[in-house]
Amino acid sequence: MNLNLAAFERFAVRFQKGDIIFVEYEPGDSFYLIQSGRVQISKIMGNIEKTLDILYPGEIFGEMAILEEAPRSANAIALDNVKALEFNRANFEILMRGNPAIALKLLKLFTKRIYDQRRRFMILTLDDIQARVMDVFLMLAETDAGGQQEGEKREFKTTIDDIAHWAGLPTEKCREVINHFMNQRRIEVLPDKIIVKNLNEFARFVNSRRKNLAT
Amino acid sequence: MAPKAMTFKANSVIYFKGDISDKIYILKSGKVSMNSEDIETGQEVRDLIQTGEFFGVKSALGKYPREESAVVLSDAEVIQFTVPEFEQFVAQNTRVIMKMLKVFSNQLRRIHARVSSLLVTEEKTDPESGLFGIGQYYLNKKMYAQALYVFRRYLTYYPSGKFAKEAANNIAMAEQYAQKYGQGKGPEIGSSTPIPDKRPTGPTPVAVRAELSDVAKVYYNGVSLFGQNKFQEALDEFKKVAEQKEDEEYAVKALFEIGRCLFQLKQFDAAIRQFSGLIQKYPKLPDLPEALYYIGQCYEEKGEGDRALGFYKKILTMTTEADPVQRKVKKALRALEEKSK
Repeated sequence: MNLNLAAFERFAVRFQKGDIIFVEYEPGDSFYLIQSGRVQISKIMGNIEKTLDILYPGEIFGEMAILEEAPRSANAIALDNVKALEFNRANFEILMRGNPAIALKLLKLFTKRIYDQRRRFMILTLDDIQARVMDVFLMLAETDAGGQQEGEKREFKTTIDDIAHWAGLPTEKCREVINHFMNQRRIEVLPDKIIVKNLNEFARFVNSRRKNLAT
Repeated sequence: MAPKAMTFKANSVIYFKGDISDKIYILKSGKVSMNSEDIETGQEVRDLIQTGEFFGVKSALGKYPREESAVVLSDAEVIQFTVPEFEQFVAQNTRVIMKMLKVFSNQLRRIHARVSSLLVTEEKTDPESGLFGIGQYYLNKKMYAQALYVFRRYLTYYPSGKFAKEAANNIAMAEQYAQKYGQGKGPEIGSSTPIPDKRPTGPTPVAVRAELSDVAKVYYNGVSLFGQNKFQEALDEFKKVAEQKEDEEYAVKALFEIGRCLFQLKQFDAAIRQFSGLIQKYPKLPDLPEALYYIGQCYEEKGEGDRALGFYKKILTMTTEADPVQRKVKKALRALEEKSK
């Protein structure tokens, strides 16, 4: 991408390897475009810090800040020495006008965020909690870009905590549902992955519950 | 290939909900309705496309199934773009992207709010407790640098918050442990699971507050008061620390803090004298650039931008980009430049 970034050098910020860029719950009023180095996005869940994503030069993070000054939803930590452009509401328009490529990138990112949120919303509107848990697997299968497509059996690199998070259920409740599915031999839970035996069956069940909702 | 003009008869459909396609349209004339179902209630929603408006953008850009059907109500002329054609078109027309960004960010805000409203089961942490909790996490993991960042942030945002005192104490603890044991090392902190120390000569876990000398206690009480914006009270504490003779390390730190208090109390001349005196007495002070920065700030507050400039430039020669103070200085320099225009 041909980014005309030289003119924006004055908006550049630098972080040293290991530096915290921001942490969850901090008020946020700026977002970043990585120019060099990697940034780790993580979240502290209970007693562990879970890595959600690792971002590379050209990627944007913290973008929710320009929507509203909502607290940050995750930690951002410099994995290397990082150089990034810092955007805020004051310089946002100037930066965007001079840089359609960045604006377009942001537009695509918003597209993805809207889609993800809509999808999440659809999970949460299911009243039947079994259907909710199943729908989380369907969502993960949809977003698993280029993942294993063959057959009805699917593997997911996920944990019960993750599923509970997406399903909007307390972990214990989610564990009950998963245990129930395990007893029915519909899924297998391994330390590093969860195997769904027949994803199509999940899809049929979820669809039947969703139709009930619409009427 | 170029964008293609097309016409559609009334009652025809440009695309159906669920289709996957990379086409984006702009309406030139006629009437087109976006028919979709509300994702919560399942009720049908119809939105008329305005002339000149793009549609099908999100699903094409994201390669998602169409979320709505585009139904023609009266004969319509549209221009069809492929995604690359669209990208090329908007690249020369940032105004269009800006407008879309606004529309999308509104949509995102709305859907976000709706999702949050459904997340009743997820116990919600208020940001203040959440932030403090992250600091605790890092402190327990002996990640002192991270813990310091978070607790300092906490005190910045919530100077008189419900954990202000604890945060100040934890800062003291983290600073002390970082110095004494180093990042990632040191005794267990907190009450979670005390680990029995089997080595006979190993450091004995002791409550940190008991380890703090009386001088340090006064000093950190000052830090806590400063964090709560009680600058006069903080100043009084730091003065006590600066005057004592037992612990020079804290005395020097206090001299610096006195300058910061005076600055906050808007006693700029006194603050300048304080920092200048400190620098003269301790030319190798690690906080030297920071002290110079405060002197610059004081001159700026006094309306003497030129003198401030001198100090800022000096700081640039003695720091690297990695120093946080250099960022602050650059910001201050930009502000000065703006002003002089």
